[in-house]
Amino acid sequence: MNRIAMLGGLVAGLGFFFLPLLNLKPNRLASGTSFNLLEFQGDDRYLILFILALVPLVLAFRDEVSSRGWLLIGSGTLLFLLTLILPATAGQMLLLDPEPFLGEGAFIRNPRILPSGGFALGLVGAYITIFAGGRDLQRSEVAPWLRSAVSWFAPLVALVLLVNGRFDVYSIMVEFYANGAALEQKFVEHLMFVFIALAVGFVVGVGLGLWASRDERVAPVILYAVGIIQTIPSLALFGVLLVPLARLGDRSFLPTFGFFAVSAVVAVAIGASYVLLAGRLPSKLRLAHLLLTAVTAAVPLALLVGVLVSFVFRLANVGFTSGAYDDTVGVLTSLVLIALALWGVRRWMLKPETRLRLVAGWTSLGFVGASFVSLIVLFVQASGSSRVLGGVASLQALTIRDLGVSGIGVAPALIALTLYSLLPLVRNTYAGLNNVDNAIIDSGRGMGMTPTQRFFQIELPLAFPVIMAGVRNAGVALVGIGTVATVIGAGGLGDFVIQGIVNTSIDQILLGAIPAIGLALVLDAGLRGLEGLMTSPGIRQVQS
Amino acid sequence: MIEFQNVVKRFPDGFQAVKGLDLKVHDGEICVFIGPSGCGKTTSMRMVNRLLSITEGKILVDGRDNRDFPAEELRRKIGYAIQQIGLFPHFTVLDNIAVVPRMLGWDDDRIRKRVDDLLELVGLDPDINREKYPRQLSGGQQQRVGVARALGADPPIMLMDEPFGAIDPITREVLQEEFLQIQKEISKTIIFVTHDIDEAIKMGDRIAILRDGSLEQYDTPDNILAHPKDRFVRDFVGADRALKRLGLIRVHELMDADVIPRVRLRDDVARAREVIKEHGGRSAFVVDDEGVLKGWVDLDGIRQSPNSLVEAMMEADYQEIGVRKNNTAREALSAMVARGFRITPVVDRQGKLVGSITVQALQDLALQGWADEEAEAK
Repeated sequence: MNRIAMLGGLVAGLGFFFLPLLNLKPNRLASGTSFNLLEFQGDDRYLILFILALVPLVLAFRDEVSSRGWLLIGSGTLLFLLTLILPATAGQMLLLDPEPFLGEGAFIRNPRILPSGGFALGLVGAYITIFAGGRDLQRSEVAPWLRSAVSWFAPLVALVLLVNGRFDVYSIMVEFYANGAALEQKFVEHLMFVFIALAVGFVVGVGLGLWASRDERVAPVILYAVGIIQTIPSLALFGVLLVPLARLGDRSFLPTFGFFAVSAVVAVAIGASYVLLAGRLPSKLRLAHLLLTAVTAAVPLALLVGVLVSFVFRLANVGFTSGAYDDTVGVLTSLVLIALALWGVRRWMLKPETRLRLVAGWTSLGFVGASFVSLIVLFVQASGSSRVLGGVASLQALTIRDLGVSGIGVAPALIALTLYSLLPLVRNTYAGLNNVDNAIIDSGRGMGMTPTQRFFQIELPLAFPVIMAGVRNAGVALVGIGTVATVIGAGGLGDFVIQGIVNTSIDQILLGAIPAIGLALVLDAGLRGLEGLMTSPGIRQVQS
Repeated sequence: MIEFQNVVKRFPDGFQAVKGLDLKVHDGEICVFIGPSGCGKTTSMRMVNRLLSITEGKILVDGRDNRDFPAEELRRKIGYAIQQIGLFPHFTVLDNIAVVPRMLGWDDDRIRKRVDDLLELVGLDPDINREKYPRQLSGGQQQRVGVARALGADPPIMLMDEPFGAIDPITREVLQEEFLQIQKEISKTIIFVTHDIDEAIKMGDRIAILRDGSLEQYDTPDNILAHPKDRFVRDFVGADRALKRLGLIRVHELMDADVIPRVRLRDDVARAREVIKEHGGRSAFVVDDEGVLKGWVDLDGIRQSPNSLVEAMMEADYQEIGVRKNNTAREALSAMVARGFRITPVVDRQGKLVGSITVQALQDLALQGWADEEAEAK
């Protein structure tokens, strides 16, 4: 019995039965009248939806797994698409002649059709049904590519219909067309946050994780410090950064740098004292010492990240405002890096992987590296005309604000996002590297591999799946946290969400939320695919 | 040749694992290090390829101090196989075996040929197994690959730390036999660590018994069994050491091949009685025209059926009543005890009678100095 199919059928069926399918609003802001599936009198087409919702309930009891799988996917796909299409047709009817539904004389200027609870549950139930069918197909050993193809058929067709304007009658689409350009810009902003924060966080986080895995004494310090940062709620962190960055903004650069240096030294001293004394303190004192170290370490860590990010931000700023973001540099740099890397790998390293995996792996590393390189190149280009130093007499008088960092805006958002990405990255890198079987490393050592060879040929490839899981975690989390960045004026999809809340317009909220969800899903799937390509078949876990 | 010269290993906390080890391992020999837990056998082995540093003394490899080379260079010339096998799970079988050759810069064709040769040597079909990953192999297959990997760059020396310890007993015996066959072909100088005295006796050309970091006795298996140096060694090799010694000799080395009481199926009873009397025993073996053992006949049987040899004899399958000439004397004794025979026929693989052996002969052997004569003759 396929319980998941039953769940899908229940969700869709109950949703259609109890919850309204559509909501007709006289205009954008007013709340409207809801219509249940069963109220579309005289139009029996809508009963199809209800029947399709019941199909998985019946199929769930069928024993033959293979045919059950195909039937579930088929009915689920049909339900998904019809749930999207049929109400659209109903909506058009409503728009053309609302009086039978809203009463005579109802005055409607810009009517909106809002899909309602039943609609959403219908889609969810359909998706669950497709998923259940996919599981059945997996059990009956259908080829993975075929399984993926049929599972993704429904959303792909929906996408095609969307692009062709078949869903334009829904209020979300109306909102979309109204805000199209803004949406695009905010989506790109959001993407840039996530991407930059992830890239910087990757370098810092994996670096720290590596250090922690090498030296057992600093490991608790690093893990605690990063963990403490994580416990600060995002809103609070954004707010907290507001003040110091605003005040630092006007100050000359050198004292800022001096402040950073002093706090870093203090933190390192306290950290070193922990490492040296750890064995000899009584345990309660040790914990307090550790916490103190962690907190003081968090400060220069945050500042270090802030400095790194501020440069990156500056370049992002250049890219956004001047519109002169030059892809050519990035692409060329990537190609050169990839070619160099491939040649180097062939020449010096073992070839434990297929060519495809090598290319996938080095392309992604090259991409990260190239982003940094091209951003730096842009920075140099931009500052070549003294844009950074423009109007400033000397380096001494340079302030952070000239670099584009201030209390509000993108800078604090990027800093906070990078900091949040650290915990999954550090923790997963540390765990991944530590959990490599000692017998394997010992036999590598016994065969005469140097420490570097051991690291790149044994430890890193074996830790790789865990590290990538950390990158995925961090990426998906950042998409979500990035939505909150709007409160400090950083932009991104959160802007729509907040506007929607302020205006009590669900359409706007959804306009912000749905792309964010989509981005998170695509990022997760994309990184999973990349990870699958880059992992040796010998250690690939079977994914559901 | 591997030479330990007064080697001491002291750990930072003061514990002395090896206390002045002096030992020579000759070329082409398997030297087994054995002893109770904590005796320093693995520690000593790991000092040969400098996985552990030597505190005092030195280890000479082919006459040169093993500290004269950079550690990695030394290790690439010494094969290394461990109990947990330690195959790289993300490498194919081919890539695993090719680790050291690649580090030494061999070209791809040479590596490919070497891997195929090694896979055949360890009893794995190259075409099937070359591209497999370790998780697709059984434990026994994995350790075969482990041995192949240790032999990858054809090192003159091998260090093996309980390589068959994690394998089931049946597969272990197969692997031990096969490894001895391989060693006959390739003659490596091997240090083999184990805690199993039976494995040590079977595998070792010489055995070094260690206790608490010191060498108790270093000699051939037969000498150690025949002349254990002190009470510790005597207890360590086990109270059944006489039987263990019997495990070192094959039946064909001490059977009577010329003087066998034998009659053919088509002979008559009178002939049988004659043969039995000639040999002064109570029974004779019955063979067919090809010489395959078919059963035996004794005086009681003749008395009961004096007219027909076929009726007088006890029919039996050669596998039930005979021992193979390649069995060990210990296996022969075990068979004779189980069947209650005092004399047993020896057959070859096809069942043809090739000799006979008595319990008395085995006991004489165990007690007397056959090994002494052997040692003097060498």
